[in-house]
Amino acid sequence: MTAQPAAANPRETWRLVKLPRNQRPAPTAGPVRVLAHERLGDRYMALTLEAPAIAASAQPGQFVMLTAARAHENAPALPRPMAVYSRDPAGGTIEILYGVIGEGTRQLAGFAPGEQMYVVGPLGRCFEMGDSPSVLLVGRGIGTCSLTTVAEERARRGLQTIAVTSARTPGAVIGADFYRDRGASVVYAVTDEDGSSAPDSLFDVLTRDWDHAPPDAIMTCGSDRLTRLCERLGARWGADLQVSVEAHMACGLGYCHGCASGARSEGDESPLICQDGPVFSWQRGADLSPAAAGGADGQA
Amino acid sequence: METGLVVDKDAGALADTPPGPGAADLSIELGGLLLTNPVMPASGCFGPELAPLFPLAALGAVVTKTVFAEHRAGNPAHRLTETSYGMLNSVGIPSPGSESFRNGLLRRYQESGTHVVVSIGGLLTPEYYTVAEDLAEEDIAAFEVNVSCPNLERGGLAIGTSPERVAEVVAGVLERVSRPVFVKLTPTVSAIGAVARAAEDAGAAAVTVANSFSGMSVNIHSRASTLGTGAGGYTGPGIKPLALKLVRDAAAAVDIPVIGCGGISTAEDVAEFLIAGATAVQVGTATFTRPTSMADIIRDLGPLCGRLGVSRVAELIGTLDQEPPTR
Repeated sequence: MTAQPAAANPRETWRLVKLPRNQRPAPTAGPVRVLAHERLGDRYMALTLEAPAIAASAQPGQFVMLTAARAHENAPALPRPMAVYSRDPAGGTIEILYGVIGEGTRQLAGFAPGEQMYVVGPLGRCFEMGDSPSVLLVGRGIGTCSLTTVAEERARRGLQTIAVTSARTPGAVIGADFYRDRGASVVYAVTDEDGSSAPDSLFDVLTRDWDHAPPDAIMTCGSDRLTRLCERLGARWGADLQVSVEAHMACGLGYCHGCASGARSEGDESPLICQDGPVFSWQRGADLSPAAAGGADGQA
Repeated sequence: METGLVVDKDAGALADTPPGPGAADLSIELGGLLLTNPVMPASGCFGPELAPLFPLAALGAVVTKTVFAEHRAGNPAHRLTETSYGMLNSVGIPSPGSESFRNGLLRRYQESGTHVVVSIGGLLTPEYYTVAEDLAEEDIAAFEVNVSCPNLERGGLAIGTSPERVAEVVAGVLERVSRPVFVKLTPTVSAIGAVARAAEDAGAAAVTVANSFSGMSVNIHSRASTLGTGAGGYTGPGIKPLALKLVRDAAAAVDIPVIGCGGISTAEDVAEFLIAGATAVQVGTATFTRPTSMADIIRDLGPLCGRLGVSRVAELIGTLDQEPPTR
């Protein structure tokens, strides 16, 4: 949920393609109790919510909308879409990680344990999990939050997951412990600080380690540069690529049409991130006319 | 609250049970329609996708996204941005086209269990007539003619700012349909009363006051507009005082009902609009902030009537304690 729509790149020859209609549990809406809310590392907040319905039904890659306005207040007007970082169906809780970057997230950060926060979810299309024997997850910063439950779900089914989590500094790396404890068999925690997050270095490391047994599928979120890296790896290994994309949203359900992913093509509306995504199949585009060169148009 | 699920049973009951003794009567009459309460969504800020979140039958009516004759893709990204006390949008009304709408989305609105008001639009006047003809025989409670979208290539505001062109569109649509026709007016005029009167004289059953205000915001780092088309429509709590004044002016100018619209997010807001002269209201941005807002407003409206000393919400309409402006 944190990558910019890759569609914004005019030299794009890849595009977002809607996944086949996948599992979409009915969303719920209303105030839920904040159970815990604390700083995480040097950049993020960790928010635990009592939301049994969402915890029981959210699929990997789905998101929720958090209303930052308190009860009886109406600003900020738009709720914030956030990936479900982890969920505990037995305990009825979900956990969300976010960075405090603007007015909305600053207000969200003010909610104390015991307060009620208005939440809608689960929303959007999840990752197509399939039965791939081996999957590579590549997340950057908070984008890793869309991927953690993929690893958890696969571990439950005895399937191997390789996870890359990338950040500027060691203190900003998300999910490394989650992956080690709850799913991924191999974890690469890489940073800009030591240069290990550079796409070319990652390419060298991942091909060195996995060319002998390449993953069948790659899932990514959080960085255009890493999406490019995943394209190269996917082409080399013959692996399918799924991308989770972020956008400003108003409704989160599809009716407002506010989160169209890129430039429109001749006559067709480009995919809506909330309803057609946020997870898309990322496929090499056929011919994108210059008129549509503002972005990668998907097939809605 | 134990979970995220807050389907409000009381709100649902409002739709099908008459008010009990002591409970306020929320029903209102609007252009020949009897509504169980005065709350409906603003066009474009509602869809049948909300059905899992609260009982849509609780609404006084549902209003569709504006339907055009032909398929429209809408505007390029970015289509929305938040701003102080509201939001800006430049969605540009994507539409499946009237034929596709009739065979698909309309059915889902009809399943809501309340009155269906279909918003219709056009870039050119004859396009309104095509939509009206395509939908004339359908089970629709009323039409709302949108002559005020700020985000279209042409038409939209250009029609809505001209009393003559508004009258022409209304008369043309009325020739083709046998249902009440509401007209959604633009706030971007110096004298809204003149446009409202033109709609009334042409046969409109009500006027909706008003659509979004033209606005924009700038990213000071990129020095670009935050919206893909450069500007858009400003909505939300920030426009409430502006819309309220327009409602008062329009209500003073016409005898047909006024539907208030602009920044309404609470039952108290509804009461303000009714006192200023509105007969019903539309809720838009508040549904984005909280999808169950309209159900909450309807739930709160009865008790509020009690506190305001009225047994029927309709008793509030046009009770502003002030001399109306001269026509």
